[in-house]
Amino acid sequence: MASMKCTKCGAPVEFDVGDKFVKCSYCSSQIFIDRSGAGFYYALPFAIGESEAVGIFRRWAGGSTRAKDLDKLAQISSLKKQYFPVYLFKRDVNGMEQIHVEPAASTTLPGLHSLKVPGGDLKIFDDKFDAGGAELIKPDIEMAPYLEQLPGTPKEQALVYFPIWRLDYVFEQRRYVVVISASSSEIFSGDFPARSSGAYMLVAGVGFLAFLGEGLLALASTALALGLMAITVVGVFVAANFVARRM
Amino acid sequence: MRVLQIKCPRCQQPIYSKTKDLAFYCPHCRTMHVRDGGVHIIDFDIAEFNVNAPQDRVYMPFWRLFSTVRIDQSQVAGGTLFKLGRLLKGTANGGNLFIYVPAWHTEVQEFKRWAMDMTESQPMYSLGTDFANVERLPTAVTREEAMRMADFVIVTMEAERPGTLQYLRYSLQVHDARLVYLPFVRGPGGVTPGF
Amino acid sequence: MTISVGLNCPACGGAIQVTEGDNVLNCGYCGSLLWVEGDTGVLTVAYRNMQDRDGVLRATERWWKKGFKARNLGQRGNLRECYPIYLPFWSTTTRVAGWICGYEERHYTDRNGNTRTERVPKEEMVLRDYRYTGIACDPGDLGIKYLRNTAGEASFADFESIPTFESTTSKDDMIESSKQSALHDAHRDADVPHVTFEKVTVIPKNIAQIYYPVWVVRYAYGERMYMVTVDGVTGEILSGRAPGDPLYQSLAVTGGTSVGGLIAAAGLVLGAAAEEPYFIIGGLFIGVVILGFTYLFFRHGSEIIEGDFKDKRATSPMDWIRSNLGGLRI
Repeated sequence: MASMKCTKCGAPVEFDVGDKFVKCSYCSSQIFIDRSGAGFYYALPFAIGESEAVGIFRRWAGGSTRAKDLDKLAQISSLKKQYFPVYLFKRDVNGMEQIHVEPAASTTLPGLHSLKVPGGDLKIFDDKFDAGGAELIKPDIEMAPYLEQLPGTPKEQALVYFPIWRLDYVFEQRRYVVVISASSSEIFSGDFPARSSGAYMLVAGVGFLAFLGEGLLALASTALALGLMAITVVGVFVAANFVARRM
Repeated sequence: MRVLQIKCPRCQQPIYSKTKDLAFYCPHCRTMHVRDGGVHIIDFDIAEFNVNAPQDRVYMPFWRLFSTVRIDQSQVAGGTLFKLGRLLKGTANGGNLFIYVPAWHTEVQEFKRWAMDMTESQPMYSLGTDFANVERLPTAVTREEAMRMADFVIVTMEAERPGTLQYLRYSLQVHDARLVYLPFVRGPGGVTPGF
Repeated sequence: MTISVGLNCPACGGAIQVTEGDNVLNCGYCGSLLWVEGDTGVLTVAYRNMQDRDGVLRATERWWKKGFKARNLGQRGNLRECYPIYLPFWSTTTRVAGWICGYEERHYTDRNGNTRTERVPKEEMVLRDYRYTGIACDPGDLGIKYLRNTAGEASFADFESIPTFESTTSKDDMIESSKQSALHDAHRDADVPHVTFEKVTVIPKNIAQIYYPVWVVRYAYGERMYMVTVDGVTGEILSGRAPGDPLYQSLAVTGGTSVGGLIAAAGLVLGAAAEEPYFIIGGLFIGVVILGFTYLFFRHGSEIIEGDFKDKRATSPMDWIRSNLGGLRI
C-alpha cells in the first residue's frame, strides 16, 4: 500500500498497485490516480520458500528430457534468494495500449532477458517493504534510454523487482544454473544435461516390427505366431519397464 | 482525466438523462450529438406514429445509410430471382437504396432480422418534430460500426435469394448516415411497426 | 509532480463515482449527466470464492487417483501448501457478420474404378457473437491460460483478504487477438472447404476484466514438489502436475506395439489379398499412429501434466486434438 493526500480534504488515502480510482475514507471524494508522469517501484512477494524451491527443482530435474536421475545426482552448490529488477512500461500508441518489459540489470542468467512481467500480487516497493532477506540486484541500466526509444505517450512506468531463486548445481563435473520464479514457480533453464530417447525408440521400434512380422507369420502358422506374440508381449513389457525405470 | 457536464453543443443547456445512450438529445433546441473523440452534432429523423397506433409506443433507433450499390458480377449456382434488383432505384444492376442497421443493443439474430426487414421494406414515414414523451431505446451502435455492417446487409440480400451464391463482385458507397427513430408498438408477440 | 486528480461534479461540486470502463455517469447529487474524458480503463468484476481449504485438498486427493498417475500418490503424496489467489482475465465479445461461399468436393468411385468428383456449392452465413477469455498476466507455471467457467457471483467481498495478481498485459492486444480468433472460428464454423467468395465483418463488442479466484496447492512426492490449481468457483481441477508410473508407461508401449503392429500386418495381408493398395497404406498409417501416441506416453509419461503448461507434450490423442484444435473457445 502507498499513501497520498486527498485532493479535497488532505487526509491520507491509501492505494494499491492496480487501483485506478480510490475513495477518501474521510470525505468520500473519489480520486483518480494519474501514473503517466511518475515512476513507481513495485515488488512481487516470495510465494515460494527455500525447501519448495529445491523440491520444484527436483521435480523439473526428474522430467522426461532431463538426464536420468538428475534429480538425485545433481549436487546443489548454491541457492540464492534474489530480487531481479525489470522495467514495465505502459504506453498509449494511437489510442491503443502497449506494454513493454525490459531488463533493468545486465545478466547472463537464463530466462531473464525475455521476461514478461510475471504474474503476482504486485506490492509497492518502499521503505516499509520487507524483502525477506533477499539480495537486491541493483539496476545498472537506466530507464531514460528506454523511454526515448519507446513508441507513443506514457501511461505508466515502473521498476518491478521480480523474486527468483538462483540455483547452481553440478552434474558429472559440469556446472549448470536454473532460475526459479518465486512467484509462479516457473523454471528458466539454459543448458541442462539431457536424456537420450534412443532406448525408448529402440523398445518401441523393435516391438512394433516384431508384432508386424508375427502378424504376417500368422498366415503360415497361426500357432507358432501366437506363441511368438506371447513371448514378445512379455519381452516388450519387461524391456519397457526397465527403460522407463532405469534409462 | 477530466470530468465535464454534458451540455448541448448548440444551446449550451445541460442534458439530463438516466439511461446510457451514445446519442445525447437536447429537448430544448432538438439537437442530437455524439461524443466519439470530439463533440459532433448529428442528423436524425423522428418518424411520426400513425394516429391509430395503440398506446404502448416506443421509438427504436436505426442508422439509415443512404448508399449506392453496383453489382458487377454475381455468380449463383441454381436460382434466378434477383432480390436486390427490385429495391434499387436505377438500372438493373446498380442504384441507390437506404440500408437500415439497428442502432440499439441487439442479439445477433435480432440484429439481422431488423436490418433485413427494414432494408427490404424501405419504410415510408412522415417526419415528426419531437419524441412527444414516447420512450426511446438507447443507441448502442456507433456510426462507424453501422457503416461496417452495410456490407453484410447487401451480401445477405444477394445470398438469400434462391440458389447458392458462389461469387459476388460489387461496389458499395455509403453517402450519408442518419440516425432514424422509427415508431413501434409493443404487443404480446413483440414490437410491430407503428407508422 | 502530482499523481492524484480529485473527481467532483463540475455542476454542483459533489463527490462522484466513476466506474471503470464507463465514460458517462450521473451525479448522485444534482443528477447532471457527466462525461469523463480520457482512459477510464475497463469494466472490472471479481467472482466470489466459493471453495474452502478442506474442499480444495479433497479435490486434489481425488484428482491424484484419476488417470495414469503414480499408483502410490495417495499414500506418498504430502500436501504442503494451499492458498487462494485472484487471477486477472480479459473477457471479450466479438461480433462476426458475413458470408462465406464456395463448394465442397465429393468423390464417388463406381464399380469399374472410375472416380467422379462432384462439386456441392455452399453458401454459409456466419453471424455470431464469439466470447473469449485470456489470462491478463504471465501465468508462469500455473498452467492456466483461459477461463473455462464464466458464471459466478460477482463480488469484491474477498478482494482484501486474497492476494490479487495484477493485470500486466494490454487490453488492446486481447481485442486484436479476439478479432483474429473470431475470424478463424467463423471460418471453421462455416466449414466451406473451397472458398470462392467471402465478405466477413468483425466488430469488437466489449471487453471486461474478470478477477477469478484460483486455489494453488503444492505437494511433495518424495523429494519432488508438484502443484495443482483448483477453480475457486466450481471446485474443479484447472491444471496440475503429478508423478507418472513406469507400469503405465510400459503397459502403454506394450499395447501400442502389439495393436499397432498387428493392425499394420492385417493391412498388408488384406491389401495384398484384395489387391487394394489403400488397405496397405491405411493399415500401416493407423498402426504407426497408434504406435506414435503410445510411444509419446512411454517416453514422457513419467510426469503427468494437465492444463495449459508451456512444457506440456501431447501424451494422448485427446490431448493432441485438444491442443491443436481446441484452444480458447468457451
